[in-house]
Amino acid sequence: MASFSQYVVKETTTNLWRNRVTTVAAIFTVMVSLFLVGGSLILGQGASNAEIKWQQGTLVTVWMAPNATSQEINAIRSQLDSFPYVHDCYYQTQLQDYEEAKHLLTATEFSVLKPEAIPSSIRCIPNQPQDAQLVIKKFTGQPGVLIPTAPTQALKNQQRTIAIAQWSVLIIASVLLVSSAVLILNTIRMAIFARKREVAVMKLVGATNWFIRVPFIFEGLLQGLIGSLMAGGLLWAGEWFWHSKSVNWAPDTLGSQMLLTSWQLVWCELVVIFLGMVIGSIGSAIAIRRFLDV
Amino acid sequence: MIKLDHVTKTYKNGTIALDDVSLEIEKGEFVFLVGSSGSGKTTFLRLLLREELPDRGTIWEAGRDIVNLPKWRVPYLRRNLGCVFQDFRLLQNKTVFENVAFALEVIGRPKSVIESQVPQVLDLVGLSHKRDNLPTELSGGEQQRVAIARAFVNRPLILLADEPTGNLDPKISEGIMSLLDRINKTGTTVVMATHDKALVDRMRLRVIELDRGHLIRDQQRGVYGIETDSGAQR
Ligand SMILES: Nc1ncnc2c1ncn2[C@@H]1O[C@H](COP(=O)(O)OP(=O)(O)O)[C@@H](O)[C@H]1O
Ligand SMILES: [Mg+2]
Repeated sequence: MASFSQYVVKETTTNLWRNRVTTVAAIFTVMVSLFLVGGSLILGQGASNAEIKWQQGTLVTVWMAPNATSQEINAIRSQLDSFPYVHDCYYQTQLQDYEEAKHLLTATEFSVLKPEAIPSSIRCIPNQPQDAQLVIKKFTGQPGVLIPTAPTQALKNQQRTIAIAQWSVLIIASVLLVSSAVLILNTIRMAIFARKREVAVMKLVGATNWFIRVPFIFEGLLQGLIGSLMAGGLLWAGEWFWHSKSVNWAPDTLGSQMLLTSWQLVWCELVVIFLGMVIGSIGSAIAIRRFLDV
Repeated sequence: MIKLDHVTKTYKNGTIALDDVSLEIEKGEFVFLVGSSGSGKTTFLRLLLREELPDRGTIWEAGRDIVNLPKWRVPYLRRNLGCVFQDFRLLQNKTVFENVAFALEVIGRPKSVIESQVPQVLDLVGLSHKRDNLPTELSGGEQQRVAIARAFVNRPLILLADEPTGNLDPKISEGIMSLLDRINKTGTTVVMATHDKALVDRMRLRVIELDRGHLIRDQQRGVYGIETDSGAQR
């Protein structure tokens, strides 16, 4: 077995060196396509991270009409308290909302507001962001209710943007993935042609089919692996850069909400490396089936 | 050692290369296979190598029915067969030693075996002093000796030679012939397809003659051919 592995290493390095230009092209294509795949994975993971953070911060707010009676307010409050989809409800008086508006609005805008024109509000945390919709449905048009709101639309828009970005990257990546498999196939094909005479002799003296195939399979696998390791390195560097920048960002910006944990990053890298080996194996398997007559 | 029973081989284009051939070759025999160009000699050897399958008939080699041998066993069959061709088929980028060692390497023989067997067989063919030369640095006769060394290094039961002297002048051919004779004396069965009348006539060994796929003569201590058979002679 030791001599077999020596043989495989010797044959593979000879082949790779003989076809070095196409080999390098194949490896770089693998790298670019897997970098994009990894980027799309990271984007997707980041989007779901951001969603979780959003969910933790999402409030559903039932704004009461400024002239709502205290019975009406109490009725809504007790209804919300018995509602299973929400928890931690609290009431903000007109004066509290007025104070909040002071922080949110510019001085000129704020100067025209009067506390008695401001609606009071009941704010709850939904168990699931989509539960906010149930609250909105339930309380719209109830006596004393001005309007129930939840910041779901903004969230939806952002998620949509991320999803579109993710899918576009993924489509480009899969086109490139196919091309890199074809490039690997081509280098293996060239290696097979370059070794035609050797293969003929091998068959004649009784080398087994696997013995003949393994160096070629290994060659494809190696190209995929090297490309994916390079892609992994780039992704890691990109993440590191993102992390180092994000220390200056406010915690509620999308950029910092999307940050990946180390484990998530490791997971993405593993997927990328695995895909690299799969591409390499597929490329060489097809080349062997089509061009190596054993 | 080798037995053909009503073997017929038709190529895809319809050429009948062998037609109902039956014969038996004993262990340790030396057999000349003669016949004009296109008579089916190469096809005969390719069937024995299982590079081709017959459409009818059975072939036994070393006690095995090789027609019905599963595909994955073919390499193991070939380890018992050595073969030599008119065009040597050496690997140009490997030295003499490496060419011979390659045959053992690719059937997974350990280094220790390679290091003891290759020098031995190079000694047998008289090329120890050229072990580090490339094929391009050798004469035709020397290249054929390397090819024979490669075929014999794994001590096959049967050696198949397809016009091994076809590219060599008579004097060199004599040397190759006596080398094959020596290999035969070690107990290896040798089947040699040839056009070389002088050689065949001098050796007086068993001669099998093919004509357009038919076995027309099987003669112990035979000669190349009836003198009127002009097409085969040059
Ligand atoms: N691969 C092939 N396809 C079709 N016909 C072939 C093939 N190989 C040989 N033949 C034909 O089979 C016949 C026998 O050829 P061959 O066995 O090479 O004869 P020999 O070696 O005696 O010259 C010839 O007519 C030849 O043209
Ligand atoms: Mg021939």
